[in-house]
Amino acid sequence: MKFFEMTPEERNRFLWWAIPALMLGILISLLIQKPVIGVIRLNDAINAYTAKDLISQITYAREHPEIRAVVLILDSPGGTVVDTEAVYMELSRLRQTKPVVTWVSGMAASGAYYLSSGTDYVVAVPSSEVGNVGVIGYLPASPFVFEDIISTGPYKLWGSPRDTTVREIEMLKQGFYQAVKLGRGNRLQVGPDVLLRGQIWPGSEALRLGLIDQLGSETDAYNQAAGMVHIWNYDIKDLYNVAVVLPSTTYASGFFLQTKDGMTLPYPSRPGLYMLYIPQLPAGQK
Amino acid sequence: MNRKFIYIVLALFLLPIVLRLAWYFPGFDLPRKIATPDYANFKMPEAPISTPQPEGIKQKDGVVLLDYSHSNQFKPSEFQVMADALTRRGARVETNSDATQLESQLKYASSYVVISPSANFTADEIRLILDFERRGGRLAFFTDATRGLLYTDYASGSPAVLPDTDIVNPLLESFNISFNDDYLYNLTDNEGNFRNVFFEQFGKSDLTWGLKKVTLYGAHSVKTDSGLALLIGGDKTLSSGTDATPGNDPKQGWAASALSADGNVLAVGDFTFMQTPYNTVADNDTLINNIADFLVSDTRQITLSDFPFIFKGSTASILPTSNVQMTAEMTGALSRLQTELKTLNVDMKISETASSGDMIVLGTFSPSDDLTKYTDAFNLKLDDTSEFVEVPQFGKLGRAGNGIILFSAGKNGNTIVLLADTETDLTTLMDTLSSGDLSGCVLQNDIGVCSIGSGGSFSTTPASPTPVESETPAPTPLG
Repeated sequence: MKFFEMTPEERNRFLWWAIPALMLGILISLLIQKPVIGVIRLNDAINAYTAKDLISQITYAREHPEIRAVVLILDSPGGTVVDTEAVYMELSRLRQTKPVVTWVSGMAASGAYYLSSGTDYVVAVPSSEVGNVGVIGYLPASPFVFEDIISTGPYKLWGSPRDTTVREIEMLKQGFYQAVKLGRGNRLQVGPDVLLRGQIWPGSEALRLGLIDQLGSETDAYNQAAGMVHIWNYDIKDLYNVAVVLPSTTYASGFFLQTKDGMTLPYPSRPGLYMLYIPQLPAGQK
Repeated sequence: MNRKFIYIVLALFLLPIVLRLAWYFPGFDLPRKIATPDYANFKMPEAPISTPQPEGIKQKDGVVLLDYSHSNQFKPSEFQVMADALTRRGARVETNSDATQLESQLKYASSYVVISPSANFTADEIRLILDFERRGGRLAFFTDATRGLLYTDYASGSPAVLPDTDIVNPLLESFNISFNDDYLYNLTDNEGNFRNVFFEQFGKSDLTWGLKKVTLYGAHSVKTDSGLALLIGGDKTLSSGTDATPGNDPKQGWAASALSADGNVLAVGDFTFMQTPYNTVADNDTLINNIADFLVSDTRQITLSDFPFIFKGSTASILPTSNVQMTAEMTGALSRLQTELKTLNVDMKISETASSGDMIVLGTFSPSDDLTKYTDAFNLKLDDTSEFVEVPQFGKLGRAGNGIILFSAGKNGNTIVLLADTETDLTTLMDTLSSGDLSGCVLQNDIGVCSIGSGGSFSTTPASPTPVESETPAPTPLG
């Protein structure tokens, strides 16, 4: 061991170089940030406000290198088609560089399942509600003219003919089905004849049908995400707290219909096209 | 020494960096391409182009009676496409919005159409409708899965639907046809929506002539044991009731329309296909025209029980036979008869000779040559010396106080023969006719016997009045 056979002078000179080098290495290594798994939560319908928040969080995850993977935690009945597609496309962009794992904590129905099908891995609680693939919408009224409202075309007031709306919904459904088919790939065990019935399944059944990948907990989702990016000893960061400067969801209370006594109904308050699961109202509520 | 020294220093410098990297990042992935739906190339499904209509519509007059007295879930304007098809055939659509008028309206209707009712038919109404069908009238029942009556269930407070099938099925029971409370759908091959189902298998019938592809929009399925399934769905057409093909046999399709065994009752599980713009899709218009033909092709024979709707044309000739003279009483009776006929849109004209159209022949029980040709067909034996008239199926009828109505249907017009003992009785019988109600008469096939007096008017002397010689002009014999 010639190193230990150094003269005191040589040893001093070595230490004079070695210690600063080690210190510098330590300092530089500290610049390597601890990997983070970002958490994006959706506990509401997908509407203009929640979509804006989701997109802010997705963008944050994409732009911050320390966020190595994202876990999307869903408990949502879906929402508007346009907002769902907007979030879905941002998620797809994020997935080009970082994996996204979904954990279905309660419900991933309709538009929410659209989002989860566009993630890399879906974990769900056994009794969660998954599926409801399809589109729902209100048909516009049959056009007629008002004496006091003047417009420049027959559909200026009504948007489109009723029949066109029916066909438009069918086209949107194709997009939904394609998204599921592409996202799930050969993991999907059922064809359109089953999937497009719009049925909602418990997590355990959804696993059998290939709509999800695993039954499990939130931790399982984190572990899966960490495994996919080969990270250990990571932090978990709720991206809502860092990405959403102004919490716009507080203004989203108008999405669902509300009764006069303040009760929120599961029906959207505005006409439009939705990827939304609308459950039967419990007895006594109408 | 120096080089080794440099390596060691460099290693010490890199060690914490590598350790930290290894602590956090045991591996790396390269950026990847994520496939998303090809949104730009998605197209809205288009409706199949309508098939051109065959030319040469057979003209057939008739009245199609449209039920609108059972809280029917449709607007009359939604029947317009069918109404136009019927009008092109020379038929007329009449609405029954008052159930009490059903009996009289069925007397002259060719067919009776019921669309998505939500109020029950009474036992009397069912009897009338079944009787109408038994006499050759045509029945058409249209239900629609989108037309059920929405109501709130008081027990649970939940919204519920009263299906139109529940109302119609009792009427169809005797024809072994029933609608299911479901809707048909096809997730893979449909007309723009899963509930808009194509039908490409057809039962052999005039109703399916020329059909290759029909689209129904939210149709109930139809079951029939003895009848003929007309529109049959493919193996991917499922019922919402079972999410399967009937009996889970993929080769057997659900029917959305059926025809009764006697060919007089049509049941269709959809009504939307008859409305604009859906009538123009695929062969729907051909189906509508076939149904219009069906509705005006009744085989019903007009009988005396259909009175007063027993005339074919718009003019009825009054033909008094030689025994009948135009007394003041007779004139009054004729005017009342004219008024009644006017309400039926039938003009009355007095004629001296037999015509080929609708006729009302007036006569007495006294035999006469010009009367014989009308009574012989009924084997009626008139004898002035007898106080009875022998009427087949009735036996001997007392001359006094009885009036006889004979009805015969002809190709160009129908004939009623009114016979009574005296002219006075005859005018009473005419007034019975003018009242439009033969409920006081005994009707048996084409012969009716009415009580028109007390019976005291009979005498053995000839009933025909002796002309009075006077300065004043005598009533002109018309016969």
